[in-house]
Amino acid sequence: MAEIIEARGVSKRFRQHRRFPGFLGALKTLVTAEYTEVEAVSDVSFAIAQGEAVGYLGPNGAGKSTMIKMMTGILVPSAGDITVLGRTPHRERQANAREIGVVFGQRSQLWWDLPVVDSFELHREIYAIPRPRFDANLKSLSQLLELESFLERAVRQLSLGQRMRAEIVMALLHDPKILFLDEPTIGLDVVAKDAVRKFLSRVNRERGTTIILTTHDLQDIEEICPRLIMVDHSRLIFDGETAKLRSALGSARRLMLEFASDPGPLELKAARLTSDDGLRKHYLLERDDISLVQVLDEIGDTTQLKDISVEEPNIEEVIRTFYQRRNAELPAR
Amino acid sequence: MSIYFAFARSAFMTQLAYRNEVWANMIGKLVQVFARVAIWIAIYGSTASIAGVSLKQMVTYALLGGAVTGAIRYESIISGIGQALRTGDVAVWLLKPASFPLYVLATELGRAAFRFVILVVPTVAVVAAVYGMLPPASPFHGVMFVAYGLLAYTIIALLSALFGLVAFWLLTSFSLEWMMQAILNLLSGQLIPFWFFPAQVAAVAAHLPFAWIVYYPSAVWLGRLDATETLAYFGLGLGWAALLAVGVALLWRMASTRIVVQGG
Repeated sequence: MAEIIEARGVSKRFRQHRRFPGFLGALKTLVTAEYTEVEAVSDVSFAIAQGEAVGYLGPNGAGKSTMIKMMTGILVPSAGDITVLGRTPHRERQANAREIGVVFGQRSQLWWDLPVVDSFELHREIYAIPRPRFDANLKSLSQLLELESFLERAVRQLSLGQRMRAEIVMALLHDPKILFLDEPTIGLDVVAKDAVRKFLSRVNRERGTTIILTTHDLQDIEEICPRLIMVDHSRLIFDGETAKLRSALGSARRLMLEFASDPGPLELKAARLTSDDGLRKHYLLERDDISLVQVLDEIGDTTQLKDISVEEPNIEEVIRTFYQRRNAELPAR
Repeated sequence: MSIYFAFARSAFMTQLAYRNEVWANMIGKLVQVFARVAIWIAIYGSTASIAGVSLKQMVTYALLGGAVTGAIRYESIISGIGQALRTGDVAVWLLKPASFPLYVLATELGRAAFRFVILVVPTVAVVAAVYGMLPPASPFHGVMFVAYGLLAYTIIALLSALFGLVAFWLLTSFSLEWMMQAILNLLSGQLIPFWFFPAQVAAVAAHLPFAWIVYYPSAVWLGRLDATETLAYFGLGLGWAALLAVGVALLWRMASTRIVVQGG
């Protein structure tokens, strides 16, 4: 599989005019030229192959949108370089634009006053899409996302969910090789989210469109993206299979033992006791290589054991633990 | 180029969606044109001509003068560009293989075409039917009036785009809209034709690009410029248009690199 996106040591610093508080401060702001530098992306490297679906995850202000903007050529990296389909995006922005599709969850690309289908027609003109290909794409995509019922309606009359579906269809009409989505499910209800997710993973599977998606919603990533890139405080902290995030970030599985009669306090070497209700005891399995058999071995007498369950932490919990630990380690930031 | 034609066409069609606005605008326009003509009638009183211009000619000038400025909304070009730059919506345009300023201009010209057909022509016709209006001085002047009219749209659109792009650095487009309005009122000859200006002021105003928006098209219709002058000033107007186009292109490049390098 060929690599179609490569980021090598990419950083992006923004200069912000320093503002002083208060009325006198405001006057001072007018005449001073002091700047503070904010680093939105620091030394991030990754490579993405054709046909992948990658989730780009991180809290607010972690530099997700900045990275998308650099990959689409709207922003120039302050250091490092990016290649998208063999080009440097900001140098060949328009050539790059023809081969990528971009959806911003918080910014509409449809024409507000026009019926959805007219926006699509303008899109066809801008991208010079041959008529037969346009018609075929429009038909199949709007069927999949069920746009038919509101294609003739003006964009301003659509619900957010309908609008988002239309945005995504529009971004795919010119058969882009890569689809960038910046928070595509933000503000959508459960049903609309579900429709968008199913659609995106189908586009990725059936059309082979490479998908890069930023989100806060972990379910987006679990359902669409087998691969996850996680950033925090502008730095890359994880890049790999979504399923392996847990072991990489070291979140523990939870073990519950239920006894027929209380065996009294039961400390184990393999697992850490977190709560003891007598009959029910909860543990954390902090190491990945510990198996249930080892736990049972350690208990020895299992005749009183009535039930046993191991729970994989969900991805949200994994990340929450990670942030909590990080915040404890970095009180200064 | 067909993209921009498509933008203009869709802007034209979009206007049809706002039917009530069309009717309200038409009434407003009628009142405005009637008022402008009424002022000149009051000024002339029983005098046959002032500075060699008859009342009939003055009424014709007032009617024609509103043709360009009545159809185009320069303020919507200014605020359109200013807002897109400020809110960062312009980023969306940087992602498309099309030019944002040309898009804004094409859209506004599409709307102007609509307003010209639906608002300007009917109101001018109604007022002309009431007060009377002179025909063009000659067929040549009639043809050149059309050419001057198209040039007038081009120049006012480019001027507005220039003002709109300046808004990117000033972070306010509202004051620029006011400034543009004041300049147009005075220097385009919209309020008062140049022949009533003091000679030196008139000489300066007649060579600024604003003069091609109202003064020259109307003056040509009335035959106040002979054939050579008509062609010469048309050439000069084309020169201004080219200069303004270069200015818009340059400012746009500066604005978009600034966004791209530093972030919106």
